[in-house]
Amino acid sequence: MSDFIQDLRDLNTLVVHQRDRSGDDLLQQVNRIGCNCENAWPIPVSLQKKFDLVFIDVTDQPVDRIKSFLNSAGGEPPTVIALIGYENPSTLESIFEIGAHAMLTKPVRATGVLGSMLMARRYWAEQLRFRKDLAKMRDRVVNLQKINDAKFILMRHHGIDDQEAYGVIRKQAMSKRTTTLEIAQSIINADGILRNIGNS
Amino acid sequence: MSIQESWKIGVLFSTSGVTSIIEQSQLNGTLLAIDEINAAGGVRGRSIEPISYNPDSVVSCYGEMAERLIVDDKITALFGCYMSSSRKEVLPVVERRNALFFYPTLYEGFEYSPNVIYGGATPNQNSVPLANYLMGAFGKRIFFVGSDYIYPRESNRVMRNVLRQGGGEVIGERYYGFDVDEEGFAEVAREIVEMKPDAIFSTVVGQMCIDFYRAYHAAGGDGRICPIGSLTTNEAEIAAIGPEAAVGHITAAPYFRNLSSPANRKFLKAYNAKFGSVRDVTSCCEAAYNQMHLFATALEEVGEMDADRLHEALLGATFDAPQGQIKIDPDNNHTYLQSRIARVDEQGEFIIENKLRRAIKPDPYLVYPKIHDWNFRTQKVKQFPA
Repeated sequence: MSDFIQDLRDLNTLVVHQRDRSGDDLLQQVNRIGCNCENAWPIPVSLQKKFDLVFIDVTDQPVDRIKSFLNSAGGEPPTVIALIGYENPSTLESIFEIGAHAMLTKPVRATGVLGSMLMARRYWAEQLRFRKDLAKMRDRVVNLQKINDAKFILMRHHGIDDQEAYGVIRKQAMSKRTTTLEIAQSIINADGILRNIGNS
Repeated sequence: MSIQESWKIGVLFSTSGVTSIIEQSQLNGTLLAIDEINAAGGVRGRSIEPISYNPDSVVSCYGEMAERLIVDDKITALFGCYMSSSRKEVLPVVERRNALFFYPTLYEGFEYSPNVIYGGATPNQNSVPLANYLMGAFGKRIFFVGSDYIYPRESNRVMRNVLRQGGGEVIGERYYGFDVDEEGFAEVAREIVEMKPDAIFSTVVGQMCIDFYRAYHAAGGDGRICPIGSLTTNEAEIAAIGPEAAVGHITAAPYFRNLSSPANRKFLKAYNAKFGSVRDVTSCCEAAYNQMHLFATALEEVGEMDADRLHEALLGATFDAPQGQIKIDPDNNHTYLQSRIARVDEQGEFIIENKLRRAIKPDPYLVYPKIHDWNFRTQKVKQFPA
């Protein structure tokens, strides 16, 4: 059984919706599912950091206001489920713009709320993971490039080959108790300084 | 009493087909309650008149007949269904037509419809007590056997989790289609007898249930040593299985016929007077009986057959049922129920061994019941020599 189902009852949820029939039905269903649940309306200026999942009525609401609200907590934005009154292209477009992870159509029925919460959580978690992985990959590519540059510098100056150059960097890193990346960076810096001295 | 029209309500229980044993008992419970209500002067001086169809245990018939009851017979409240699949057929019909639907059967949870009043237990109300009992009294190696549909699968998911929390282990899990007979269960029965689990958890329902218990007995299985624990096998099925094959097996339910209380004695006496025997009285029958009484009380208060107003009146309503007091939970339309564990004796009668101290709140959206939750702790029931 996936963690999303297991952890469901630990979620702090916020329902940003008028206290009308749809709003009440949704609040009650979220309560039945067993999550902590609060209500807010109209759209507040800022979002408290504690909320993991936000249901938000996007019908006739300015997209910029929704976006600034959702991003106001700082850090990672919460999981967002959009509630829409009209299933027309402009409303659907606004769902994409605010970065919703799932949606529910109004009038809200009890059936479908649990499913959309789970889908939204999964999609949100996946996006988060992908973003982290991507950042890690980007760093790694940059690092690799730096180590290569440092190796070329050593090869040029000392007439050694690729493997020997890497060996020098590794040995230095070990004796100075630092990373190969630090050493590579120092080599690149030193090379730049020495070259500048030569030019002046 | 002036000549007034009666209150018409719809009834959908199968009196033929695979689930007819249990549904017949639910129908009887419903009819008995109606008799009692009418004998006491009806509701606001008008009697309740059931319009009853037999869906023949065919899933698609339930939806069609619910439609017919609402459209042709103009009813707005209907009572019926045993299997989840049949409830799922009726659900969209009552939601679209805004009728009130009373479902008197335990099921797997994870549902809420404003149009349904759920009278049976959800998994949190009896899975945990049963798991605790089986592991405490017999051991931690459990074999699962079920009919192949949604209730057994979800019910087993819950059970597997509860067992794991208590250090238990599921050593086998099999599902069988509704066409399987005693012959068809012979192989799994032999396998179980060879594997020697500490207990079996069965979610096999209807006629199949009888076949499975018999096959287990035929293969040499003995309920007194390695019992089959169940949430669904009740008096009607045990009677059909026969005492020889049924002895020792265990069921957890809100109600058992052998319950000793004034309310239950009164209920059984009336049942016997109407149907000539109490042989097929079960927890599902009692739930159906309770729901009709709850409905009548709400109707008395509201005075019209408007589904929304009846629904309002039902939320939080209580009834002194044969099992003890029950209450419709205003949070989720399900029912606070008692929880008891009983074992079949040599005569084929359930003897209640353990029970919960108080009615337990239904929690249809509970993913993982906690085995150590004090709410689920049972106490021993003292046995008095007859």
